[in-house]
Amino acid sequence: MSRPGFVLEVDDRTPPLLVHNGEGFLLERFPLGTRVVYPPEALPPVRDVDEAIQNALLNPIESEPLPELLRAGMRLTIAFDDISIPLPPMKKPDIRQRIIEAVLELAAQAGVDDVELISANALHRRLTPNELRDIVGERVFRSFFPDGKLYNFDAEDSANLTHLGQTRHGEDVEISKRAAESDLLVYVNVNLVAMDGGHKSTSIGLASYKSLKHHHNSHTMIHSRSFMDHKRSKMHESAWRMGEILTQHVKVFQIETTLNNDIFGGPLEFLQKREWEWSIKDQASMLGTKRALAAAPAKLRHKIFTDVRSNYGLTGVHAGKIEPVHDKTLENVHRQHLVEVQGQSDVAIMGVPFIGPYNVNSVMNPILAACMGLGYYFNSYRGNPIVRKDGAVILYHPVDYEFSQLHHPSYVDFFEEVLAESTDPATIEAKFEKQYAEDPWYIHLYRTSYAYHGVHPFYMWYWISHALDHCGDIVWVGANRKTVERMGFRSASTLQDALEMVSHSVGRSPSITYLHNPPHLLADVR
Amino acid sequence: MSLADKLKDKKVLVTGVTGFVGEALLHRIIGELPGTTVAAIIRPKGSLSGADRMAQMLRKDIFKPFYGEGTQYADAEALCAARIHVIDGDLSDVPELPTDLDIVVHCAGDVSFDPPIHEAFTTNVLGTKSLLERIDESRQGTDRRIHYVHISTAYTAGRRRGAIPEAPVEHAVDWRTEAEAGMAMKARIEEQSRSAPMLARFRKEAEKLHRRAGHLTAAADTERRRTEWVAKKLVETGTERARSLGWTDCYTFTKALGERVVEEFAGKLPTSIVRPAIIESALQSPHPGWIEGFKMAEPLILAYGRGELPEFPASPDSVVEIIPVDHVVGAICAVMATEPELSKPEYYHVSSGARNPLTFEQLYAGVRAYFSKHPFDLGERGAVRLPVWKFPGGDSVESMLRYGEKAHKIADKIITTVPRSERVRKYARELDVQKRRLDFLRRYMDLYSEYAQAELQFIDDNVLALHNALEGDDREKFWCDTSIVDWQYYLQELHCPSVTESMRRLDVVRKKRNKALAESAGVLKKVEPSSESKVIAAFDMDGTLLSSNVIETYLWMRLPELDGPQRVGEIGAMLRKLPKLIAAERKDRGTFLRTIYRRYAGADLEELNQIVDEILAEHVLERLSGAAVRRIREHRAAGHKTILITGAVRPLTRPLEPLFDEIVAAELAVDDRGRCTGFLSGPPLVGESRAAWIKHHARTTNIDLSKSYAYADSHSDLPMLETVGNPVAVSPDVSLFRAARAARWQIVDWKTPSTSSRLELPGVNVR
Repeated sequence: MSRPGFVLEVDDRTPPLLVHNGEGFLLERFPLGTRVVYPPEALPPVRDVDEAIQNALLNPIESEPLPELLRAGMRLTIAFDDISIPLPPMKKPDIRQRIIEAVLELAAQAGVDDVELISANALHRRLTPNELRDIVGERVFRSFFPDGKLYNFDAEDSANLTHLGQTRHGEDVEISKRAAESDLLVYVNVNLVAMDGGHKSTSIGLASYKSLKHHHNSHTMIHSRSFMDHKRSKMHESAWRMGEILTQHVKVFQIETTLNNDIFGGPLEFLQKREWEWSIKDQASMLGTKRALAAAPAKLRHKIFTDVRSNYGLTGVHAGKIEPVHDKTLENVHRQHLVEVQGQSDVAIMGVPFIGPYNVNSVMNPILAACMGLGYYFNSYRGNPIVRKDGAVILYHPVDYEFSQLHHPSYVDFFEEVLAESTDPATIEAKFEKQYAEDPWYIHLYRTSYAYHGVHPFYMWYWISHALDHCGDIVWVGANRKTVERMGFRSASTLQDALEMVSHSVGRSPSITYLHNPPHLLADVR
Repeated sequence: MSLADKLKDKKVLVTGVTGFVGEALLHRIIGELPGTTVAAIIRPKGSLSGADRMAQMLRKDIFKPFYGEGTQYADAEALCAARIHVIDGDLSDVPELPTDLDIVVHCAGDVSFDPPIHEAFTTNVLGTKSLLERIDESRQGTDRRIHYVHISTAYTAGRRRGAIPEAPVEHAVDWRTEAEAGMAMKARIEEQSRSAPMLARFRKEAEKLHRRAGHLTAAADTERRRTEWVAKKLVETGTERARSLGWTDCYTFTKALGERVVEEFAGKLPTSIVRPAIIESALQSPHPGWIEGFKMAEPLILAYGRGELPEFPASPDSVVEIIPVDHVVGAICAVMATEPELSKPEYYHVSSGARNPLTFEQLYAGVRAYFSKHPFDLGERGAVRLPVWKFPGGDSVESMLRYGEKAHKIADKIITTVPRSERVRKYARELDVQKRRLDFLRRYMDLYSEYAQAELQFIDDNVLALHNALEGDDREKFWCDTSIVDWQYYLQELHCPSVTESMRRLDVVRKKRNKALAESAGVLKKVEPSSESKVIAAFDMDGTLLSSNVIETYLWMRLPELDGPQRVGEIGAMLRKLPKLIAAERKDRGTFLRTIYRRYAGADLEELNQIVDEILAEHVLERLSGAAVRRIREHRAAGHKTILITGAVRPLTRPLEPLFDEIVAAELAVDDRGRCTGFLSGPPLVGESRAAWIKHHARTTNIDLSKSYAYADSHSDLPMLETVGNPVAVSPDVSLFRAARAARWQIVDWKTPSTSSRLELPGVNVR
């Protein structure tokens, strides 16, 4: 059995603790009394993955078994989560590949030959052929990609979008025409964190800007508390309403999978162990890695981290009707991520790691770093935020001025032009969003190159609006001063300085909580 | 009898009245000799007539007390009408003179120490001669006495040593022969510069630098080099001729010959020759410290104060014959009142060395003391460190300088050869500052080292006698005994404050400007939307929008379709050719491009397009500078027409198509099967052809080039940048960087994102 997550209170015997810091890590001594939230250890994986998949497909929840839904002459569309999950990417074979192969097997048996596979990337960048191959596997790739039957969703291809109607709140539901007109839509999901899956899969993954803007905006995001808890998230409520409309038109067979916390293997295994339990070998590889990273040039360091692939064990696979499937899925996710934390604290500390959903095979630019820390990590709670209202958040990340012109062309312009004028999400939304969303150059790059949609950086900024609204001070440790200032934050050289800087609002001896992730955790703050 | 009485009702012709001494003399005559009228020969300048220039001069502060309330003249015009008779004219062609002249003071002359030889003869010898002839003419055959006062220089003594008497300079040089030969040099040297070997030399030098930009740019530079060479040669010839006959330079040489001319006329006109030494700011009149323009010592004093004059080739004990301008004017006035006999010209040394010597060491100490007390405020770094002079002697200063020049030359060679970067540009800028200082040192050392090591002693008994003969308060008004000057007081309280004053004012302005410049450095001005006129924004590609070059992009295009060993072979072939290619690139970009593009022979154009679309597009886009793209889009938003002008092949520009309204690229010629022939279908657009293209485009489509923009990174793009009103140098190479700085163009650094790697080849080692 794996051990559950727990909260450590730092005392004088506590060794320096590991803090993720972009492409690298630090060992930091925290003030006595600091609470450190550790995620549960990796759950034991299911023993036979293929058997579990077969079982899910043949014995779905509140649905006919998949073979019964398949018949010759039908239009079958398989949509799958894109490269933004899981993080870090999964070692081959990808779980999606195994499921898609199983589904295709059944489809073949039923004589279905109109099959298309769509990467549900919404306004994310297109995946390169190689990235598609990594997800679906060589066999599927070779059979479908050359004929154009395996492709990225294009949210700007108006000829291939279908408007399914409006929700009772007047929200447009516009998704991929192929998916909308299919006799069966199979969605293959990887439910890495509690935010993913459910109606978010199709209603968001295959939706256009027209549809997305109803929930991807500063107002919704500020009231999603948190978006890791779909029952208290305005964004998810909207997606769920859209899902109702969608399922009235399209038959969806949802397949959701959950993964365990076995993220770092091999020489990096120490990253997911508790520091006082590091073996001699762990300590040696920690020291070796630390030295090597310090000596390596930036590009090599980047490559080392970009190449990290995780083992991940499958903890569950469920198929069938979206809502009950998702409930099962969340049970598994919570089993793996949930840690009970008693009460909020004055200060929350988080180390932003090298990877986030939007910089796979790319660099984490300042906006993504902010989104990772203040969007994802800050929202990794159920119940109450880990930090009290007007408390302080201290983050670790170098926040270098580094943008991928290929993947994030609108980000660098957002940083230079939009953030220079305002950092307030609502102001930004009102003044700039439309212009970026409709910019022909960004649309061209989104459609033909590998760029995130022009509006995507806005979403990143809305993502953090809850944190901006909730927190008093936000200080980055060891970050590039200029970039951090541009985003409206402050930078400190050490943790001590950061605590000094926030002391005016939280006092000299604040209560501190350090979220020790990754591996992922979800703080259940009572 | 006072001077005013002696000179009452006399009419004095003054030449060079707009000069330093002339102006002071005019001031003294108006102020202290109320009965004397002045006739002034003034050269019209531009649209200003002689009278206009006089009016302009009278509006200067020193003349203001002479008119207006409480004086007898209502305004400057009234003063001018009553006391001054302006004659438009020039010494190179002396106009007819009034017939009622009593005295002529000839102050005009070329005061530069290194004039071209023909100019020196024109002003100092031939000009004097024609002036004397006109004076003689104005007597209309009568025996009217016109006292001719010739202002010469004490240094007509040339390279002689020891005591110099107030007497004719002893020499046997025939001024007619010398003048004829000197005047002929102009044509001779001009002719020489046009000979084939010389022209070929200039052209080769110019092409080394400018061939890449195009023939016309090189030609313009060739002609510039030729005229520069002619000018330099004329100066050099003058100096050498002077030295070959025992003078320091062409100035003193021609001045000495000028005296011979004057002496020839002494039989017709009673003559006095006044020889001032180094004239500097006033002791008393018009006001203490008064000085106009920069004289001999000022550039050196200022350079010393800025800490830029590390040493000077002077003998510490040699005497600097400085003389305040009011003493010179006093002496001239006193001389005007004398009545020398015909054929017996009188000589006057207005100098200080004989009775009140100021040694070079004392001068140095005075200047140093002044700047120690009142340092220049040169920005945030506090007062500059003043160099300590050790006076090691001319030779070692010379070798120091030569060493510096050599080091600079080597550094400059390196800096123009190494690949460009921000750091290289920084070094280039520092080198240019160094170069300016070295040039300054070189110039002034060459000019002044003779004087600074002179061991002359000018006897000034005649001037002292004049001074002693002054009666009543004339001694105060026309003081010309330099023994009263307290040099340290003069230097520290009068002269230095006066010459540094304008500099200090300029420094304040400069400081402000530099601050503003530093703040806006590297930040482009916002693009203004054009409403009334059509505007274009032309961009170069390689090096400007993305860091790439033709060889690199060629490899990007070719390698993906080759297999392993072929790739190695292709890269090897390119590496072997690299030295040759680089040499070709430096010489002629067109040839270089053709050589590279020849290698496309056999490639399928359609396939190339496909490779770009599928594999290279992301590589190109990844390396695009974000700032560049923003700028292009800014232009589009402002309604400008964006144009990409590149020597790269057309397929490579495909990923950028949506950003530009028009793309001009090299077109690969194809055969009937669609395969590249290795040739281009037209000459590649490089250097001047780009400028020509833009000009033609502007003519045919009615574009306002003066409001248009161009962005480029290399020296070969100079002609293109010059065609538009808003040129921008982007991460420029050193040559363009220098040109851009000189022309005050905007310079920006557009960086390729650090996330892209030079070593990654799409479709080869990058998946």
